Amino acid sequence: MLEALSPIVGHAAHEAEGLALREAPGFTLIQYAGADRALARELGVEPEFGKVEKSEGRSFIRVAPHQVWVLGEQIEVRQCHATPLSSGRSRFALEGEKARALLAACAAIDFSRSALGTGACAMTGIHHTPVLIQCTGPESFHIYVMRSFALSVWETLVDAAQGL
Amino acid sequence: MSKFRRLEEGGRIDRAQSLNFRFNGSKLKGCAGDTLASALLANNQTVVGRSFKYHRARGIMGAGVEEPNALFTTGRGGKEVPNTIGPALELAEGLDARSQNAWPSPRFDFMGLNKLAAPLFGAGFYYKTFMGPARKSWMFYEPFIRRAAGLGKTGTQGSDQRHDSRNTFADVLIVGSGPAGLAAALGLAGTSVSVTLAEQDFELGGQILSSRDEKLLAWRERSVAALEKFANIRLLTHATVQGIYDGNQAIISVGGNVLESLRARTIIFATGAVERPLVFVGNDIPGVMLASAIRTYANRFATVPNARVVFATNNDSAYDAAFDLAACGIGVMVADERLAIAGDLLSKAASHGVVVFSNTGIAGVKGKLGVEGVALSGPHNITIECDALGMSGGWSPLVHLTSHLGVKPVYGEEIAAFLPGALPPSQFAAGACVGTFGTLAAIADGEAKAKAAVAALSSSARPATVVRPEIAADRSYAITATWPKLKSGLAFVDFQNDVTSKDIHQAHDEGYTNVEHLKRYTTLGMGTDQGKTSNINALAIMAGLRGVDIPKVGTTTFRPPYTPVTVGAIVGRNIGQHVRPTRRSPLHDWHEKNGVTFIEAGLWKRAWYYEWAGKTPQEAYIKEMELVRHNVGLSDVSTLGKIDVHGKDAAEFLNRVYVNGFAKLPVGRARYGVMLNDDGLVLDDGTTSRISDTQFYLTTTTAQAGEVMSWLEFLLQCHWTDMDVHVTSLTDEWGSMALSGPNARKVLELAFPNVDVSNAALPYMAVMDFEFEQVPVRLMRLSFSGELGYEIHCPANFTQSLWEHALKAGEPLGLKPYGLEALASMRIEKGHVAGLELDHRNSLDDLGLGKMASKKKSFVGEVLREREDMMAPERWSLVGLELLEPDKKLRGGAILFAANDEIKGHGCGYITSVTWSTDLQIYIALGLYQGGLAHENEEIVAAFPLKNEQARVRIVSPHFIDRQGTRLNA
Repeated sequence: MLEALSPIVGHAAHEAEGLALREAPGFTLIQYAGADRALARELGVEPEFGKVEKSEGRSFIRVAPHQVWVLGEQIEVRQCHATPLSSGRSRFALEGEKARALLAACAAIDFSRSALGTGACAMTGIHHTPVLIQCTGPESFHIYVMRSFALSVWETLVDAAQGL
Repeated sequence: MSKFRRLEEGGRIDRAQSLNFRFNGSKLKGCAGDTLASALLANNQTVVGRSFKYHRARGIMGAGVEEPNALFTTGRGGKEVPNTIGPALELAEGLDARSQNAWPSPRFDFMGLNKLAAPLFGAGFYYKTFMGPARKSWMFYEPFIRRAAGLGKTGTQGSDQRHDSRNTFADVLIVGSGPAGLAAALGLAGTSVSVTLAEQDFELGGQILSSRDEKLLAWRERSVAALEKFANIRLLTHATVQGIYDGNQAIISVGGNVLESLRARTIIFATGAVERPLVFVGNDIPGVMLASAIRTYANRFATVPNARVVFATNNDSAYDAAFDLAACGIGVMVADERLAIAGDLLSKAASHGVVVFSNTGIAGVKGKLGVEGVALSGPHNITIECDALGMSGGWSPLVHLTSHLGVKPVYGEEIAAFLPGALPPSQFAAGACVGTFGTLAAIADGEAKAKAAVAALSSSARPATVVRPEIAADRSYAITATWPKLKSGLAFVDFQNDVTSKDIHQAHDEGYTNVEHLKRYTTLGMGTDQGKTSNINALAIMAGLRGVDIPKVGTTTFRPPYTPVTVGAIVGRNIGQHVRPTRRSPLHDWHEKNGVTFIEAGLWKRAWYYEWAGKTPQEAYIKEMELVRHNVGLSDVSTLGKIDVHGKDAAEFLNRVYVNGFAKLPVGRARYGVMLNDDGLVLDDGTTSRISDTQFYLTTTTAQAGEVMSWLEFLLQCHWTDMDVHVTSLTDEWGSMALSGPNARKVLELAFPNVDVSNAALPYMAVMDFEFEQVPVRLMRLSFSGELGYEIHCPANFTQSLWEHALKAGEPLGLKPYGLEALASMRIEKGHVAGLELDHRNSLDDLGLGKMASKKKSFVGEVLREREDMMAPERWSLVGLELLEPDKKLRGGAILFAANDEIKGHGCGYITSVTWSTDLQIYIALGLYQGGLAHENEEIVAAFPLKNEQARVRIVSPHFIDRQGTRLNA
């Protein structure tokens, strides 16, 4: 098989007190699009906007009306349309007691635990580029960034971390 | 002679912690807890700078951010920060501060000679004087004037200080930590409501810090200690709220280097009030200060006038300062403009040894570089020797922040000052900010506004009752506003901008009676202090001159920032590589390692040319062109926009979007398409492939990828909501490469030996999907260069591996990479339009694409493209151009003129794209020319006035090579 290469080769991890940022590659991301009823029927879940639904080892994230991202194995669908996006996004894993502060330094949404707790997600922007941030634990997050901007966003996060 | 001195004890300074600092090169010492201003006064540095226009000596006037005079440049070695407010700057070890507008020193300033010409420097002096004699005289004078005036200079080397930004959220933002602010925070402490309290000072307490009332100070200590323990309370010091914006967004500068954007559900403004000066001749002499400032320096910083101070007032508040100074052992006299003074004040004055002169004002001030004495006006025609003069013209609530969203302040007759207007339901104001000047009343008000904020939040939280300090009951605030009427002499209204009472009279006499005109004509209220101490006096003078009430004169508009903010703080981390994001293709790393020179294309970094072909673009692109024209080359085209169009109505959708038909495009075939905006002008072009009955793969130009995606989404969401179509950008998901040249098919055969890429299996404009080493590959037979060509697309994670595989497979044939310059040059030879021609100003016919428009179906832009103007034969339309003078060259942007036209003006067209043609061995170009190909074979002139170049060119077909398409169909 051809070798898969990351857009942030050589920037594998950033460690600082209370903060760890690393790339978390190796995920399967597929966007399913279709009428909401068809999506619910074929995917088996109806994720609310801003909340990550988990089912049968997959994570379901509503990203727009009639569009759901699914992290995990592909689902065979007949009345929806599946578009693979695993190469189009890079995923960063952010952890530590300063994780929320770092996100607050970079994006203009409320990252407090009450607003973005475990299992919640938000679509926002970092460094003028669209990102999806998923809260995976009290102090841990996954950040999905566009592949072509991945290094730029990585450098932004690392720079912002210096100021915490 | 000493004018100010530090007391042996008292104050909030830490005498055990000495701090070294420099002022104008002199080594001085201060204490922890000092501000720069208090440390300077403690060192008897009373002349701290020179004024903006007259270069008159300026001393410290205030004790807070309202300070108009004591502005300093801090830092050295090209890293200077100008206009630092001395009374607001916490003293730090090693601080290096210098005076502004003073050379060689503030005590002896060469430009001080200006004041001899003061009678000439009235309002509007610049505007009247420097307009002649010639029309552009101002341009000549301006550099000299700017050198002579101005408020400090920024260092050219930037700052070593890191600047940052952050976003925060709160249920309640409390601005200010005086009695009202602290009380509001105490009321909310321990509730479920999240609170941020922002205080611009380095200590919480506001005006309490200027008090010597032990019980009040103890209440502050207890309150702060209590607040620090509550998790729902966030206390910020050194935090100035600079502006309030829509949605209760507050921009807060924290510590000078962090800009915080706080979005609050509710805001309680507890911003307090500032004392205003009195207007009398000599009121700018160093040592003339606000009465409250003298009190602050005495009580908080243990720094007092040497022996005697006079207070001039029109209200009761100056007596607090008088009594506190007397308690410090300083001789105190009060000149009160009012005839009737409260008996309790007179009794207290007597007990403190304070001499009070009623019905008395200030006739003049004795001294040049410092106050030596004060001449009283009124019944007591005497001069009192003193070290300082404190003035109190009453208090002005700080309504700046409450006004930022357009709420006009309203005038309160009782306190002779402006108050916040009607605030939105989520905003509240408390304490001195709304004219509630008493300490206990302010605490009660803060507590009440905390409850109101909770109610506005619809929260079930129950605010706590705030414990009151055991202090004396509030005295009512009594003021008799006697507004200045002086028309002569240097009685200053705006100390920072050197605006005198006389200037306001002059502005009025010359018709500048509107408050906005007054501001611009005199510069009143401008500068770093934004008129915090001057506005009300100026408005009152103008009201008097116009014979109207002060509210009728109105106020100027309050705008952010509230205090000066460094550009560094505004820019934050967005410097260097962080100014804007960089977009990288999946092949970026490979390019970097293989000798590419990048070029920026929007946010993308694209491979421009490769080292193997040459060291300069001029040299390299020709070699790369020759490679493709005669052999085979591989180019990164991952930046092209790629959109997945999916759904049972996908074909019909594209049929409406493109001017040409797509409904019947067979599966496995690609078609070139052009789309218009709804105004009938060309939006973009590209090739779209049919992957299945319900799926298309649409490509766009690099530049228009985002716009096309937005346009398609707009059409689906707003116009054709009933269509079953879903569009998804695949620009990042798929990487792509263009394989071009006569030997391109041979490379494919080597790279994908199990795939039939013969002409029969994959003819021109065919597309096939297959898997190579378990990775999906989309192979499209297209040609941008005009040669036999293919585009190979695959998921971006695998693009570099596939690219390397293709290069290795083609190595025996001499396959090499080629860059954007060669790619763009070959499309000019072929006559393909691209971004430079697709500039949203051209119609289909302008670009020679009119025949593509279907007559059998409707499409976006169909009707408006046929407007009379759009079909006019004299429109500028696409032509090819050949250079007729081999010793010259063509330039993009050159203006085209008919052969006999005068080379002047906008001409009849311009060159959009130019290149050296390796096939024709001449410079060729694409251009837009009036009448287009109706002028084919005419000789015209291409002029480039910037370099004074002209060259003869011939109009030809834009298709310079292979018009029959033999090469690409090979």
